[in-house]
Amino acid sequence: MSAGAVRPFLPALRRLEARLSVPVTRRVRLLRELEYDLEELTARFVDQGMPQPEAQARALDALLPDGDALRELGGLHESLYRRFGRRFGPTRLRGIERGALAVATAVVLAAEAAALLRADLLAHASPFLWVVLGFGAALFALAATSAFSLWVRKDPDVLERGPRGLLAGSALTLMAGFVGAYVELSHVLGLLGRNPELVSDVGVAWLIRICTLLSTSITLALLGALAWFVLHQWLVVLATARARALGFDSSDPPNRGALS
Amino acid sequence: MSDGFDVQGFARDIHELLVLAALRDDAKHGYQIALDVETESNGQFTFRHGTLYPILHRLEGEGLIQGSWSTAGGRRRKVYALTRAGRGHLDGRTDHVQRIVSGLMELLRGPGQAPA
Repeated sequence: MSAGAVRPFLPALRRLEARLSVPVTRRVRLLRELEYDLEELTARFVDQGMPQPEAQARALDALLPDGDALRELGGLHESLYRRFGRRFGPTRLRGIERGALAVATAVVLAAEAAALLRADLLAHASPFLWVVLGFGAALFALAATSAFSLWVRKDPDVLERGPRGLLAGSALTLMAGFVGAYVELSHVLGLLGRNPELVSDVGVAWLIRICTLLSTSITLALLGALAWFVLHQWLVVLATARARALGFDSSDPPNRGALS
Repeated sequence: MSDGFDVQGFARDIHELLVLAALRDDAKHGYQIALDVETESNGQFTFRHGTLYPILHRLEGEGLIQGSWSTAGGRRRKVYALTRAGRGHLDGRTDHVQRIVSGLMELLRGPGQAPA
């Protein structure tokens, strides 16, 4: 569609979109297909001598899907996962999804701990390290939920929800690491101030403890931010395609949730 | 019905066959398919209220037609073409519908009545 072109069917397409429960990419394609057909059919009617308003009304009557057609389209374009998941029922499927997420999160948490154990960094770990690892597991759970909803379940309302919490979680992880490092550093400096002779015994151990805490929190926060960036960019692409199909200003997409 | 004829699905089959038949010679846009079916059937078969799109998308999902996007005048449009599987399906189902309609007409007119 060329910029500035008159698009008389946008109000009808927007009303239709609100009732069309299919994944966003398929919804956008369907709306584009429909708009082209509506415009072309109207032009045909006008060429046959019909007044423009009547031609538009006839084209809408012929091509705009009604409730039954929308339901059928919804079923046809349902994601494979939803089609497969219908065998279990919504409650059972939700239970399976939560169970799988809990197991995956536990595995990631165990993998994080195992990596630190292999490097012999947990022997004298700061208690803050466990807080950071907990935030890391929560970040993984948030990213996995968003990615699953976007790419596997293909939720029709994915634009409204967006990858919420990932950036905040990353910031909290980073903050926990820095607060922990500050507390640990205050503690060791106080200890060494009172007992300067301990510097050779505890200095290196405390340095490793603080570096482990900081590097772990920074790594997990960066991974969380990276996951947010990828999901966010993907959603921006979807939101822009939807905005174009519906004639919204793409610099001001209506789906604030996706971009928050 | 002894041959498993599905009465409720018959209307849907007819609409699907009309779409496949409209694509027999050329690839067409959705609106063109609807227009051609209406014109060539002298207005007896019309697609209203967007019933065309579920049929098109179902046939596309079954591989009987293939949709492709192209750009013309800066606008994206979707064109459908009959696949080889679609052509075979059209031929097979047309024979099937003909048998059903013949049987139905015989039943309606009564035995021994010549067709009008």
